[in-house]
Amino acid sequence: MTTTRSLSRRRVLKGAATLTCLGLADLPFEAAAQSKGKVVVGTWGGDYARLLNKNIEQPILVAEGWEVIQDQAGDPERRSKMLAERRLPRGTTDVQGLSALNMFQMHDAGVIDAIDYSRLKNAPNLLPSMQYPYGVGHIYSGKVGIYNPKLVEPAPRSYKDIFDPKRGDKLGIIDIQYQYTLVCAALAAGGKVDELEAGKKLLLECKKAGARIYPTNEAFAQGLKTEEFGTGVMWKARVVQWQNAGISVEAIVPAEGALAYVSGFVIPKNAPNKSGAYAYLDAMLDKRAQEAFAIDMGYNPTVTNAVVAPDVNKRIGFTPEEVKALVDLDYGYMTRNDVALKEWWDKELKG
Amino acid sequence: MVGQGAQGLSLDPPARTLTNEQRGGSLLMASTLLAPATCVVVLGLLVPILILLRYSFNKFDPRLMMLEAVTLENYVKFFTDPFYTNVFWTTLRVALLCTLVCLVLAFPLAYVLARSESRHKNVLLMLVVLPLFVGNAVRAAGWMTLFGSKGALNVSLLELGMINAPLQIMFTERAVVIGVIAVNLPYMVLTLQSVIEGIPRQIEEAAFSLGAGPWTMSRRVLWPLALPGIMAGSILCFILAMNAYATPVLLGGPQFKMMGPLVFGQFRLNNWPFGAAVAFVLMTATLVLTGAANLLVHQRYGRRA
Repeated sequence: MTTTRSLSRRRVLKGAATLTCLGLADLPFEAAAQSKGKVVVGTWGGDYARLLNKNIEQPILVAEGWEVIQDQAGDPERRSKMLAERRLPRGTTDVQGLSALNMFQMHDAGVIDAIDYSRLKNAPNLLPSMQYPYGVGHIYSGKVGIYNPKLVEPAPRSYKDIFDPKRGDKLGIIDIQYQYTLVCAALAAGGKVDELEAGKKLLLECKKAGARIYPTNEAFAQGLKTEEFGTGVMWKARVVQWQNAGISVEAIVPAEGALAYVSGFVIPKNAPNKSGAYAYLDAMLDKRAQEAFAIDMGYNPTVTNAVVAPDVNKRIGFTPEEVKALVDLDYGYMTRNDVALKEWWDKELKG
Repeated sequence: MVGQGAQGLSLDPPARTLTNEQRGGSLLMASTLLAPATCVVVLGLLVPILILLRYSFNKFDPRLMMLEAVTLENYVKFFTDPFYTNVFWTTLRVALLCTLVCLVLAFPLAYVLARSESRHKNVLLMLVVLPLFVGNAVRAAGWMTLFGSKGALNVSLLELGMINAPLQIMFTERAVVIGVIAVNLPYMVLTLQSVIEGIPRQIEEAAFSLGAGPWTMSRRVLWPLALPGIMAGSILCFILAMNAYATPVLLGGPQFKMMGPLVFGQFRLNNWPFGAAVAFVLMTATLVLTGAANLLVHQRYGRRA
């Protein structure tokens, strides 16, 4: 009686076998649908990864028949992976998203390809300053001065005003932004991007006057919101997000020229799918994708044909003069001195 | 193999002496059963630890990350720089303090739980375990909203007029100690509770009937008998506190440094050799200290217990 009512063991096995066969038979069709192949993209997780998927991968690459896989991790982990994989004939990623400084470091370590701009149909629209020989700029912003008008009067106009020991007790500093903060302070003290000693001295004076150090961007935002401090430096893009969240904060482009932040993509030398990598870079420079990133993320497009609405541009953009005045890090100097700078930061400034 | 192994576990009445074949069979069976766990430990723990040990003798290069070498410079750097030794002493201080406070707070609670005959005992135990259902980072985030200068605690005290300016609790060692204790306390309570439960109530009553007061009974009967549990709980707490990461980062802030965050920070800088050396210092110190504590307790109480 039980055999007639319940599924017999044989029938279950037969069913399972049939399903497996069907599943296997289905695979070639699926693969055929993705005839262009697979692109593996190394990226930070969170919003950036989500927006890459929403604005670049789904509407352009997947629509064209590419299969895109994201390898999400922080940039130190991904850089370590690239270095560790350097001896392998085939790496595991096709493109890697990195900051301009990190792109330089990977180029310096000899693990990434020179970019062949003739393979990018959107290359003619790319801003010349975003055409690195070893990587392509995707988005950029600048380190602007920020202040809470309720707490800081008069409004600062330069890095010098922000890192002024006289109002050091109003200053907030972000721990994880030690590189850019050091260079901003150096510019404030009249130094250069590769002469940071005066900046170090200035930071120590500000600290003595009561400057507060916050561990992350989020903790900094929290402190800004609760008015624990009233001024500091931050990416313009992030200030827009804070304003949207109702924090009382204004941004100024410093008189010394804002320190630029560029985020871009590189191709590892051992990328398994180079044509896929170029397809990704091209899609990332697509007008639609660039415009969407300006709206969704508050960073500026790196292509000239992207149209940013005037109200958005007012909040995220820089005037042509300000763009011209953008200051870049000295990548070589920062690479050579990163560990020493971090040690100084931990021992002297925070100690 | 399996056949031979099964022979060792046959249901025949046990022979008084095992034949060589049987002994071999049960040995094979035992090793077959132990193999998977051993493989996991060897591949998942020992091999990476050995690789890390090797890395700690390498040289750091800002361009290429790591150069093959055999040098002690990473260890020398750690032990000769007061900044790093201070981080070590802070970690040790916090870990010992947290362990001690956990022990003091957990013992009465564990005793009550162990001796409780309430039908709600399971619910009480669940309440102790409940905080473990939430991850450390999430719990620390909760503490942050409580301790912040405009957090629940400060706002309440200010509104009640008990303080004039907000108390600075966040980003201090005090906040970290409170946070770590909150994380570790359930482990200590559970360990002590299970050991105290195994001590028959009659032994305590015997002590009382022989004229011992509660204090003498606790000191001379309960304490020595509960010592294995106290040791286990303390070691667990100490190891967890020494290696704490989320709590010191989130509650201690950027100026407070413990060894766990220091290791991570070095790896983030891609300075693997120094990060590996710091990790080894931390691991060795934890092992040596727990080993020494164990030995001391055995020597002191071993004969009596």
